[in-house]
Amino acid sequence: MARLLETEKLTIRFGGLAAVNEVDFTIDRGEAIGLIGPNGSGKTTFFNLLTGIYKPTGGVIRYCGESLVGLPTFKIAKQGVARTFQNNRLFLNLTVLDNVLIGMHSHQDSTWFDAVFRRSYVEREVEQGVEKGLKLLSQFSQDLVKNCYQRAGDLPQADRRKVEICRALASNPRLLLLDEPSAGMTPAETDELMEDIRKVRQQIGGIGIIIIEHDMAVIREVAERVVVLNYGRKIAEGTFQAISNNELVLEAYLGREEQDAQA
Amino acid sequence: MFPRTIGRAILLLSVEAFFFILFAAFMKTYDTGKVIAFLLFFIGVGVMFKKWNRGRLALTDLFKEMKIVAGVGFVLMLLTLPFIFQSSPYLIHICVMAGLFAILALGLNFQLGSTNVVNFATAASYGIGAYASALLAVHFHISFWLGLLVGGSLASLFGLLLGIPCMKTKDYYLSLVTIAFGLIVYILLVNFSWTGGPNGIPNIPPPSLFGHSFKDPLSLFGYQLPFQSNYYYLIFVLVGGSIFVAHRLHHSRVGLTWNAIREDEIAARCHGIDVTWYKILAFCIDAFFGGVAGTVYSHYIGFISPENFAFIVSVVVVTMVILGGMDNVFGVIIGAILLTILPEKFRAFEDFRVLIYGVIVVTMLMFRPQGLFPQKMRIYKRES
Repeated sequence: MARLLETEKLTIRFGGLAAVNEVDFTIDRGEAIGLIGPNGSGKTTFFNLLTGIYKPTGGVIRYCGESLVGLPTFKIAKQGVARTFQNNRLFLNLTVLDNVLIGMHSHQDSTWFDAVFRRSYVEREVEQGVEKGLKLLSQFSQDLVKNCYQRAGDLPQADRRKVEICRALASNPRLLLLDEPSAGMTPAETDELMEDIRKVRQQIGGIGIIIIEHDMAVIREVAERVVVLNYGRKIAEGTFQAISNNELVLEAYLGREEQDAQA
Repeated sequence: MFPRTIGRAILLLSVEAFFFILFAAFMKTYDTGKVIAFLLFFIGVGVMFKKWNRGRLALTDLFKEMKIVAGVGFVLMLLTLPFIFQSSPYLIHICVMAGLFAILALGLNFQLGSTNVVNFATAASYGIGAYASALLAVHFHISFWLGLLVGGSLASLFGLLLGIPCMKTKDYYLSLVTIAFGLIVYILLVNFSWTGGPNGIPNIPPPSLFGHSFKDPLSLFGYQLPFQSNYYYLIFVLVGGSIFVAHRLHHSRVGLTWNAIREDEIAARCHGIDVTWYKILAFCIDAFFGGVAGTVYSHYIGFISPENFAFIVSVVVVTMVILGGMDNVFGVIIGAILLTILPEKFRAFEDFRVLIYGVIVVTMLMFRPQGLFPQKMRIYKRES
């Protein structure tokens, strides 16, 4: 059976610089993998390659056996790859509920013709979407359900993250890419986040999650396997225990000890 | 509680009638001083309305509660306008033009308001609709009613042709492409001999319905209304239809998707939205509205020339949407009405018209980019 996602020697060069350099990566159904590395090591670029925002200059990406390279972003999303963004890209001037509804776009099919001439079809579609959206929101926070008509831009950061995750889940994805979900969160909010991720894995059986994080507590709690990038290359892979003792990893984060300037 | 309901209905209708009568009086004044006085009064009422919370809430609740009564009352009052203005056909003409621009503005709203595609080629779709139906009517005696569909469809095709290169460009460059296309259409209209060149097309036959020609005065309820009234009622129906279509599109997956594209195109793509398709859809629907308006215009005025579809017309429609409200059907119509009627009332400042439009655009974008009437949040009714 084909793996959920695998990349082989995935590379992208910007001019002379390889932001992602020959990265091999695999994830199976139901797995949660952490992707870590110092700033600028290519983690978000890797996500952008997976979602078709960037086109690789080398290597392959296979999703359930099919190549994703060259597909436009929206087609990749339709295949069941959903993501959140490092700097939170909600539709700020729309309501919370509208944000989640847009997440369901791939699973709805009403057209402009339906909108004008087949009103009942559209209304049924909207109704079903609203039901599903509110149910999804309620799994994360009752507050969000109560304030579902609030403008997304007016929400505090932690709530925005939740809405972004809800929006990503609204499309019934098979692969979920989380980009630094705990950035800017307090420890209490981070605990809630880890609980939310646990709930997601429980409710959507078989969902694969790749999570970019700087907060090692989240990685330790959530990820079964960890992949470490540095300067675009994969330098280590293994359990959290294994890579936290890995010399190369420590060097990447902490630097090398200066040699004594002896003769 | 019947008497109470009737009482509230009467209150509502009185409020509507009060403003309607003021509007009619405003339209009939020609003295610039009185016009300014009226405007100051309206602005004053508007400001007071915003500040007086209790009154505002009470009034909006009243209107919401009796939506049907308010709507029917409003429609009936609008229908009586030609009777009120029967001694001044020019005022009816202004209303017809306001209606035409309302249709143009509603069309542009799909692009500018909903999707944030700044299209400066509205005049081109307006012109293509006008010329197509005019040529068909003059050379092939195609009826106006068929011309409406043909004009709209041909303009829509133009929208598609315009949309395709625009998909390769972003933001400002997209606007430049639309400006270029608008100019190309204008230049072609001036230079093709079969479009009549700079002299345009004269003698476009007026429409007729059940034997009644729109060129003839309209007799209703014993009154002889000037011929403009025919077009007034036609435009009334067309604007109603446009509002209907715009409302339905906005409150559907299509409208929501357009808004998503406006807010964050990359996030929209990452959620399965085919941005190219939806932008081109907006181009085509906008152009269709333009074509329909153009068809009415050509048969109403009776002759058209390329000057009627110059770049400045596109600028005016863009200004209407920016002023009235981005992605707000009501706001956009108000913008169209304001920017059609006010230039008429301030004829003295005719020379400064373009400057004033520029000032309006810059001021709105600086201080209130969402327009006078910003987009309303979508609220979904739930059975539970």
